[in-house]
Amino acid sequence: MIRIDNIRYRYHPGAPLALDGVSIDIARGSIHGLLGPNGAGKTTLISLLAGLISPREGSIAISGEPLGSWRAARPNAIALVPQDYAFYPMLTVVENLAFFAGVQGYSSQERQRQCAEALAFSRLESVADQRAEELSGGLRRRLNLAIGLTGEPEILLLDEPTVGVDPSSRRFLLESVRQLAATGRTVLYTSHYMEEVEAVCSDVSIINHGKVLLAGSIAEVKQGRTLEQVFMELTGYSLRN
Amino acid sequence: MALWKKEWLALMRDRHGLAALFIMPAIFILVMSLALADTFSGQQETRLAYATLDLDDTPASRALDALLGDFELLNKSAPPSDEANARLSVRTGEMAFVIVIPHGFARQIGANQPPKLRFLIDPAVPGMVRSGFGKYVEAAVTRVWLTHVLEQLGQSMMRPELRQVMENIGSPEISIEPVGSSDDGAAIAVAPTSVQQNVPAWLIFSMFFVVIPISTVFIGERQSGTLQRLHAQRVSFGLVLAGKFLPFVLINQIQAVVMVAVGRWLVPLCGGEALTLPGGAAAIAALFTLSLAVSVAAVGWALFIASIVQSSEQATILGGVGNILMGAIGGIMVPRFVMPVAMQEWTRISPMSWALDGFHDVMLRQGGIADVLLTVCALICFGLAALAMSIFLNRRATST
Repeated sequence: MIRIDNIRYRYHPGAPLALDGVSIDIARGSIHGLLGPNGAGKTTLISLLAGLISPREGSIAISGEPLGSWRAARPNAIALVPQDYAFYPMLTVVENLAFFAGVQGYSSQERQRQCAEALAFSRLESVADQRAEELSGGLRRRLNLAIGLTGEPEILLLDEPTVGVDPSSRRFLLESVRQLAATGRTVLYTSHYMEEVEAVCSDVSIINHGKVLLAGSIAEVKQGRTLEQVFMELTGYSLRN
Repeated sequence: MALWKKEWLALMRDRHGLAALFIMPAIFILVMSLALADTFSGQQETRLAYATLDLDDTPASRALDALLGDFELLNKSAPPSDEANARLSVRTGEMAFVIVIPHGFARQIGANQPPKLRFLIDPAVPGMVRSGFGKYVEAAVTRVWLTHVLEQLGQSMMRPELRQVMENIGSPEISIEPVGSSDDGAAIAVAPTSVQQNVPAWLIFSMFFVVIPISTVFIGERQSGTLQRLHAQRVSFGLVLAGKFLPFVLINQIQAVVMVAVGRWLVPLCGGEALTLPGGAAAIAALFTLSLAVSVAAVGWALFIASIVQSSEQATILGGVGNILMGAIGGIMVPRFVMPVAMQEWTRISPMSWALDGFHDVMLRQGGIADVLLTVCALICFGLAALAMSIFLNRRATST
């Protein structure tokens, strides 16, 4: 269980609050959707969980232990999959995977095993020796996700993982996310696509202006409506706009 | 290790970066060594032309004409037929100078009056050549005049010894003794040859050009979120920088070997002078230590630039122009010894100038490690300060 408790965060003194008293519980093994427009605070929340920035007020605990000490004992337990293609275009697919496994301190043998598993999971074996810059958008998205799997993290932070991909690749990625959760991993999933969140997530938090407007299981949040209707009722506008 | 391997692979696949690091300086060394060979040696093959127009046509004027035949910066041409032709040849650039020996030159000498000469000069002739040639003509006229005086004196005193003295009057023989760190004066060069100036100069310049490939990769990492991803994987910024440090220091050392090879073998193949390096383990150790110190300075500087810029365009402008300015000030593009004194003082602010001085200490003055230790320390301090600054700036940026 990830417990985010009353987090307040601003980037500079005097700047508006990026997160204003955010509290969310994320169950272990769940896929938790984070819905909100640009500037809502989604990326700030993900950055806090990834350890890129530290909260000044409030706390984050995992399995009852503060994030810092939990992470210190398990340095590879959280993986961030950024929205951009966060890998090296001039390296091949397998070189990228080996590099990101390597910086986590794994032995050569372990690296090879992890690379093989990540390649198989993301079905990138056929392009393993191709440079990343030569891949299509959909394959790049898969590589972006596959890199996140090196280190076998318990928690995956996926920031808009399907942006700019064709429907077939999107289906593949969504199915991959479901499979990851089925193996016990916890996934925090941000997206602009409500139908994606509805299809893949077990829980959702709707966030706007740094505040959580509504959180719960998909069924609790929807209550017979579509997620888009709920979002419009809460924020007054459509996420598509 | 993974960081080093990644950096190495990335660089090996960056054709433009490799071209900037290897082909550009090799071309610079080749072109500049050949183009400036005569300027550095002082023996210009394409010398300016000059001629004398002897309107006096006396033994004294002919003696002066004969004495003016071996000025090393200029080529003596056939005399023009008259003054109008002389003026035309200067105006058209065919001649740099025409020295007109007017009627009455011998008479003035005979009367012990200062003889009069006229110079017709192309205004484009450099001031240094003009004044040097003026002094040379003055000395020749003095010699003719003195010869005449001694001849008169010898005849009046019937002293054959004076005739002997007259024959021996000439330019003094000046021996030049170069002073360096070694006792072996014969091995010490007085001033760098073209290739001795250009190989270390363009090598230093190219070593500092690692700023372009380093910034390109670094900016890509930052813009794509790869740095964030690494940070989330608990890879510290210091470790990321360290991962770039060693591969580029290695690249710098390969550059050093390649550029020395260009100076030693390629330049002579194209008609230039071969680079000669001081022999002995001490000199080689000093050169290697210097090369490593230049690397530390260059890679530190490159990482600093990569840390403060936001785009490749900014990196090209700040890093590239910064390098060019450091090179211009530091005596890379224009050798320091041809700069005005005040400007020479300014060169001290450029690390490229420190490095070039260090290389000249070893290559020209036969210095060892002890002689370049201060330079090595200064370069390493510069590199480490730049590195520390980039870590500090990154920490400040990510702490907000």
